[in-house]
Amino acid sequence: MKAQTRQQSGVTIVDVSGDIDMGTSPGLRKMLMESLKRTSRLVLNLREVRYIDSSGIASLVEVLMKARNMKKQLVLFGLNKAVQEVLQLTRLTTIFEIRETEEEALQV
Amino acid sequence: MSCNKGNAPELPPIPAASGPLKFQMRMSSNPRLLAVVRSSVSEFSAALGFDDKQRRRITLAVDEALSNVMRHAYNNQCDHEIELNCRAQNDCLEFTFIDRGVPADPARICAQPLDEVALGGRGTHLIREIMDEVRYERLPGQNRLHLKKYMPGARGKA
Repeated sequence: MKAQTRQQSGVTIVDVSGDIDMGTSPGLRKMLMESLKRTSRLVLNLREVRYIDSSGIASLVEVLMKARNMKKQLVLFGLNKAVQEVLQLTRLTTIFEIRETEEEALQV
Repeated sequence: MSCNKGNAPELPPIPAASGPLKFQMRMSSNPRLLAVVRSSVSEFSAALGFDDKQRRRITLAVDEALSNVMRHAYNNQCDHEIELNCRAQNDCLEFTFIDRGVPADPARICAQPLDEVALGGRGTHLIREIMDEVRYERLPGQNRLHLKKYMPGARGKA
């Protein structure tokens, strides 16, 4: 799993790729929590995520809850079938702000 | 059996006399091995005729079961042994996980109601949602978890 941060129009975008599982999700969670401290809007590009398990989903939920507590915004975009299916199976599709493209995510 | 086999090589039907198609993995309880198992289970499921969606789900369920063993039975210690037996019968795919860690909590194995802000419990929910049969046994000194998924059209949810 790799995660790289970039800035655009005052928004922090994190490009995530690879597999998010029990071994890699703690690192992603830590990185996202750190990024959240330095921005008011965090956008996650999940287009290159091949796999995510329940620990990865739990990490995203934790970051979302933290963002809400801090009155900040978390937006996801580029979800492929693998990610969408796990969100559907865990019935979490409605709690996240989800957009198809980066352009749409930046407009939220 | 007429099925979409994804990218897996075309395999001849299993001759009845040859017995079930099976393989076994013995691995350390290290999360770095999860990707290796996912790859094997995904190819195995594809070769048996599960479509891409079912194959992703079966792989997810096996990954969640292994993660639970690593996290709960072995308390995130990476140097213990886990045995995974994969077996294809005529109408189903079976997985048996054996570990020698602490006994599982029956309350945790029974899928709990999903709470959107809960940080745990989703793995067990996923396993039960995806698999047709889930059975846990505590034997002397070991835990055994059995998962079964029926072939599309055989019976159950498949």
